[in-house]
Amino acid sequence: MGQKLLIVDDEAHIRMLIEQTLEDLEDEGVELLFAENGEEALNLIQQEEPNLVFLDVMMPKMNGMEVCHKVKKELKLSQVYIILLTAKGQEVDRQKGLDMGADRYMTKPFDPDEMLSIAEEILKM
Amino acid sequence: MTRHTNSKYYLKALKNILKKSHGSEQVITSIAVKLRLKFAVMGFDDTLLLGSPSDSFQSFPLILDEITYGTLLASGEDGNLLANMIMVFVEKEIEKKKIGNEVLGLYREINMIYDFSERISEKIDAKSIAEMALGEASQIINSTHGLFLIYEPEKNKVVELASFGQNPDREENIDKLNFLLKELISRGTSAIVPYDKIENNPALNHLRTIMYSPLKVKHRTLGMVILGHSEQKEFTAAELKLLTTISLQSAGALETAYLYQKGLQEAKEREEAIRSIHEVSQKFVPHEFIKFLGKDKLTEVSLGDLVEKEVTVLFADIRDFTTISEFLTPEDNFLFINSFNKRMGPIVRENGGFIMQYLGDGFMALFPDGSQTALRASVEMQASLRLYNEERITKNGFTVKLGIGMQNGNLIMGITGDIERLDAAIISDTVNTASRIEGLAKHYGSSILLTDNCKNNLTNPEEFDFRYLGPVQVKGKQKPIDVYECINGDNAELLKHKLQTLSTFEEGMNLYFTREFAMAAVTFQQIVKKEKTDNAAKLFLNRSAHMITQEIDDDWRGIASISTK
Repeated sequence: MGQKLLIVDDEAHIRMLIEQTLEDLEDEGVELLFAENGEEALNLIQQEEPNLVFLDVMMPKMNGMEVCHKVKKELKLSQVYIILLTAKGQEVDRQKGLDMGADRYMTKPFDPDEMLSIAEEILKM
Repeated sequence: MTRHTNSKYYLKALKNILKKSHGSEQVITSIAVKLRLKFAVMGFDDTLLLGSPSDSFQSFPLILDEITYGTLLASGEDGNLLANMIMVFVEKEIEKKKIGNEVLGLYREINMIYDFSERISEKIDAKSIAEMALGEASQIINSTHGLFLIYEPEKNKVVELASFGQNPDREENIDKLNFLLKELISRGTSAIVPYDKIENNPALNHLRTIMYSPLKVKHRTLGMVILGHSEQKEFTAAELKLLTTISLQSAGALETAYLYQKGLQEAKEREEAIRSIHEVSQKFVPHEFIKFLGKDKLTEVSLGDLVEKEVTVLFADIRDFTTISEFLTPEDNFLFINSFNKRMGPIVRENGGFIMQYLGDGFMALFPDGSQTALRASVEMQASLRLYNEERITKNGFTVKLGIGMQNGNLIMGITGDIERLDAAIISDTVNTASRIEGLAKHYGSSILLTDNCKNNLTNPEEFDFRYLGPVQVKGKQKPIDVYECINGDNAELLKHKLQTLSTFEEGMNLYFTREFAMAAVTFQQIVKKEKTDNAAKLFLNRSAHMITQEIDDDWRGIASISTK
């Protein structure tokens, strides 16, 4: 079965950027999924059980921390690898995010090449 | 892009729009239903993307820019409507991708600049800022030569902070073209230099393209960054834009670095000023005093701070200085006192004491470590004064004598005054007593006089020699105090005499206190005969002689009542 990658960000241009960045993965059969807010993300994660989630922290409705907590601590979906995305200068959230069960942490603006190679590494490509 | 990669690229867009999540698939399917069409979508490589094909279907190519990337198979003529719609969707998808790519490119740039500005803002010296700026520039802009120049107003000169690329004449060129560079910097603009200007300039013609950008902060230009390439064509506007961005970030960092260095310098100067104030104030209020209060600096003490401690209080007084000073000008007076204090101060400190107060022709010193140290200091001070006197004699100067008295006891040290004027103060009966003992030393003609309290406090009394001088009723004190003369501060001759007559003196004192005044007088007489300057012996000779003729009360215990000072 093909792998799934979920991109969660409330800002359309960031979703587009990440999509563009990870475009090459589609050629390898990875399906890219998108969500605009925490609620939508949580539903998609339960439905699709993606292998990897890029999850923005600052979002309306349910923020990334809560989503992460629900997925990892309540639904116990440990196989869903979650990378939290947060703005530079808010690194204080780092430990909090890791406490919530996030597997990794990236700051925005992100380095596109780094993001692609991390995704490839996690999806073992 | 080749034809083949293009068709693959378009096929990918087609696949994208046919994804369930995209929403286009639903539109296509529902329109096909309306048109009563059965259909299938194939890629140019004959992969089935949507629907189920049938041999009876008509085929409609999906084309963009004359490249066929797929086929729509449909059960009727209206299939062309469906194909057109799909092609519009794909075209829009391709456009979206193109914009996405451009945005990603810009994002990469932003990320690079963000990262660069973050790294460069950590640099606090101009040279490493220059090096980092050129390093970054050479990485993202294809260039073989680079120069980071700064204008130094003090020298009115443009100088190099960093550079890369081979050019043996670089330094010479910067010197030669300094006027032009200054001009360019003051203009504060960025530009790509036209090739004809490069070609005709011998300093530049090793390069084929050059661009420069100012290091601008607000309205000032600090310098400029120049990039060149020795083989390649012309720099592009996009490359100039990148260089300008790097220059702007570098200029900001330079300014911050300058301000930081300036701030550092100012802080250093402030610290130096505070340190010297601290040093001076320490001379007015002894640091030890502040230390006793449990503080580190004078600035930390406040009104009401106090501490109680047992110490030895020492008073030293230049004998008959008021008489001497009448013959001196005020200036000579001052000079003499200073040269005297200059000799005594270090001895006090070396013995663990500190001078609490200068009293004109003397001083008060405190010895926290007790009377052993105070007495040692006293003996050394007397010795030092003898040397000083000898020195003065050779210069036809006058000589002086020093009287020292000391007492041991508890002392309250604290900060007194009001909020406007604070002073270090000690409040203690011990101070008064010590001062009286110093006065008594004059009466007994002793160089060093101490109380029994003080003598009992000695950790190693064998280091010194004493003569007991009996109990004294000190003014303001209820109980009489036993006083001792320490003879080790006397000159060698007198000390020798006093040592030789030590037991005789003791015998004399015993006779005196047991009211054998005639015998006492004879005994003291023997001592005085040997040495006329033995003042204490002389005094007790007189006292004994006087007592012979007196009526003695039954409770007479030989307590001397001295009212001087």
